[in-house]
Amino acid sequence: MKKKSVIFAAITIVLILAANLPLAWGYFSTYTEAKGGVRIQPRKIETEIKEPEISAWTKHVVITNSEDGTPVYIRAKAFCGSDYTLIYDGGENWTPGEDGFYYYNKILNPGEETPELLVKIKDHPKDENGQEFNVVVIYESTPVRYDENGNPYFDWSQKLKANERGAE
Amino acid sequence: MDKKRRIKGMTLGSIFLFAAAAVLLVGGSIGSARAALTYFSQTYTSRIQTQKIGVTLLENGNPIAWRNFDKKSADDIWDINEVPVDERLLGGLLGEDESFVMGKAYKEELAVRNSGTIDQFVRVHVYRYWVKVDENGKETKLQTKSPDLINLNLVNDDYWIRDGKADTTERYTLYYNRILPAGETTPLFSDTLTVDGMTADHVTQDVTKRDDGCTVITTTYDYDGVEFRLEVEVNAVQTHNAEGAIWSSWGRKVKISSDNRLSLVDN
Repeated sequence: MKKKSVIFAAITIVLILAANLPLAWGYFSTYTEAKGGVRIQPRKIETEIKEPEISAWTKHVVITNSEDGTPVYIRAKAFCGSDYTLIYDGGENWTPGEDGFYYYNKILNPGEETPELLVKIKDHPKDENGQEFNVVVIYESTPVRYDENGNPYFDWSQKLKANERGAE
Repeated sequence: MDKKRRIKGMTLGSIFLFAAAAVLLVGGSIGSARAALTYFSQTYTSRIQTQKIGVTLLENGNPIAWRNFDKKSADDIWDINEVPVDERLLGGLLGEDESFVMGKAYKEELAVRNSGTIDQFVRVHVYRYWVKVDENGKETKLQTKSPDLINLNLVNDDYWIRDGKADTTERYTLYYNRILPAGETTPLFSDTLTVDGMTADHVTQDVTKRDDGCTVITTTYDYDGVEFRLEVEVNAVQTHNAEGAIWSSWGRKVKISSDNRLSLVDN
């Protein structure tokens, strides 16, 4: 009986002490948080080339950017058979590059179109009923990029990581 | 003799132990009673400096989030910024009519201020992720979009140590390795925010052939219409018994050196 009483009393003390322990173990602490975000709207790249009928053995190349497109840089180039020579005239708006492309000097914003890039066919056949040949114009666009100071630049070497949704 | 020592079957030892238990029990509740007596004193007035903990997050020098102990009533013991959490950060990132530009480094100077009256240790969690928001404003987190394209540039790594073990793809954790005294502000832990221009390189192309023989390729950005999120959580804890307090409050083992420098313990 004596032993039981001592054990009972000891347990009582331990329980009382344990009840007070959380007070001793509580620490001053606090926290705060903040959240924010921005919607990304790179939209889409949708440009188109306009080539009116050839006149005076000259192609008039104009490239347009759609209203809901994104600002892009443009470059263009033409090919033809080796019997003929192509002469470009882009005025102050187009600059020849070492790679054969002509580069539009400005950013082509949505809804805008480039000034004409003229491609003249030199040494064309005098007889229009003679040999048939093609002059093919290709152009490329790349989205405007920005450096850390917010200045725009282009990077023609950057490839898009594209998922193709299929051709019809 | 035995009969004298026993009172209804109990020994003197048992009685002593019960008496001690009773004293402890009464002692446990005497604090509040004492406080009540002090409160009603009419003879003397005195100002008691209570121990208050508080922490504030600063963005570009402006306090944008805080939680300071400031007991006004039994139900209102914290002073908290009333601006909703979702609207606190990046509020001044863009000017009026300014569009967000990928690649540009926007000023995002973040620091922590001790807005309490006791010294503290602080740490910061930074979360970055992408969400899609529907017409009803409901957000869905996009697990497939890379958080690494959202770059909060961390600085002052001699003050802020990164806990690599706590890193996830969208979170990193920084510990300020010194005591932050009451009223003081830490050095910055970030200076700029950039969304990588690589975001623009992930696209989907729709290819159609027109009747005139031309092939039209329409390129749509995969990130079109999604939103990025930046989230910062600041924790603060007392400096007294700091190792135990940090382990108990944050679950992180740290070591505090004799010159009060905090380091992470990984073993």
